[in-house]
Amino acid sequence: MKLTLKIWRQDNAKTKGKLVSYDLSDLSSDMSFLEMLDVLNEQLAVKGERVVEFDHDCREGICGQCSLVINGQAHGPEGHYTTCQTHLRSFKDGETLYVEPFRANAFPVIRDLKVDRTSMDRIIQSGGYISSFTGMAPEANSTPIHHDIAESAFDSAACIGCGACVATCKNSSAALFVSAKVGHLAKLPQGQVERMERVIAMVTTHDDEGFGSCTHTGACAMVCPQEVQLLDIARMNFEYNRAVCLVKD
Amino acid sequence: MAIKKGLFKTSVGRKNLMAVTGLFIVFFLIIHLIGNLILIIPDSFFPIEFWNNVANQHDMYNAYSHFLVHFWPITIVAWVLYAAIALHIIDALLITLNNWKAKGEKYAVIDNSTSTWISRNMGLIGTIIGIFIVMHMVQFWLQYKVLKIEHDLYNLVLETFKIWWMVVIYEIGIIALGFHIVHGIESAHRSLGIYPKKIMHIIKYIALYFGLVMALLYAIIPIILYFK
Repeated sequence: MKLTLKIWRQDNAKTKGKLVSYDLSDLSSDMSFLEMLDVLNEQLAVKGERVVEFDHDCREGICGQCSLVINGQAHGPEGHYTTCQTHLRSFKDGETLYVEPFRANAFPVIRDLKVDRTSMDRIIQSGGYISSFTGMAPEANSTPIHHDIAESAFDSAACIGCGACVATCKNSSAALFVSAKVGHLAKLPQGQVERMERVIAMVTTHDDEGFGSCTHTGACAMVCPQEVQLLDIARMNFEYNRAVCLVKD
Repeated sequence: MAIKKGLFKTSVGRKNLMAVTGLFIVFFLIIHLIGNLILIIPDSFFPIEFWNNVANQHDMYNAYSHFLVHFWPITIVAWVLYAAIALHIIDALLITLNNWKAKGEKYAVIDNSTSTWISRNMGLIGTIIGIFIVMHMVQFWLQYKVLKIEHDLYNLVLETFKIWWMVVIYEIGIIALGFHIVHGIESAHRSLGIYPKKIMHIIKYIALYFGLVMALLYAIIPIILYFK
């Protein structure tokens, strides 16, 4: 199949970028979107041009490293998929695709389609952990957890931190990401010790990193590869309000 | 890192203020509607000597307005309401400015299929309502309550809605209000931290039908008065 790609090219965060058009032919519909970019880069390398830089790692939909906004949709048109798991069969032969980086002030462009998402790492560092003794793994059944709670915590923990929620949000809010991390630990007994300090610290860091406020449009939950629920944000708001009322200075 | 916390600080806290003030305004809207509905009760509905010397719609509406202006607890609630509206607007501006600042460069292609038009345009809808409220208050509240130029509020209302374009403007304001309520009520509960799935499912439908019923009831009043 043939595709016309309008790809965002930008040297670094300080320079202005622009969309550059590339025509690709003889593509297989079974290729993943990233494999198609590999084909493009091979052709660019042969011509001696700078290749298109983009983030990727596992290419099996679990690491959260790939990004891209394809025709205005974070991770492409499938919804609840990562870009690496989006295949060319999702597009029409001869279609023009606009490929842009995840955009938010908290995600400065490093080069081309690669963005700096360390702002999300700093949110995790500020509270997305538990403090406990390390050593041998404890006997799993020594901490009783109700099956439904374990499942619910796991649903939140499934967040791979890709940033699609931020990229698609009209406010560039990372509320879904923070809520998944807050919710995951708030639901489990291991997370109770730092439950209140955690949510306050993570929300504070979220704001300091320059993310916006959630206005509940629900767009984030529609693109989340791990289907983190919009209600997790409500849960985070509950945790925040509870913490503000109960925490001691 | 300086820890910021407070029920009305941070990106989460500021939404609390939006929610609390918004829900209070919704509560007021119910009371306001009950008063308005007096305007469309047919005269025949009032038994003779219904309420002392109130025997028709005209007297009933004016008696009700007089009561609102001269009963002191209502005055206190009114000031709380003005404060709520002011805070709702200021908070909305602060949140919106901050959200604009958070946004990166504009996407070349924007796909809006993942959210509703109403949820994305609460600011725009709110601005229309804001302009409408100013006009509405200049027309009635200022004339009757502040300047005390007009003593027969019923006649003032009736005269206003004899003008067809006035009816159109009011209908636009009311439609905007309905849209704002539908997203606002659901969003407010989410902001305040109501997270059980079953409850939020019910609230979503309550918000939808409440907004619809409120808008319909508000909307029929100017139309009925126009044809009266």
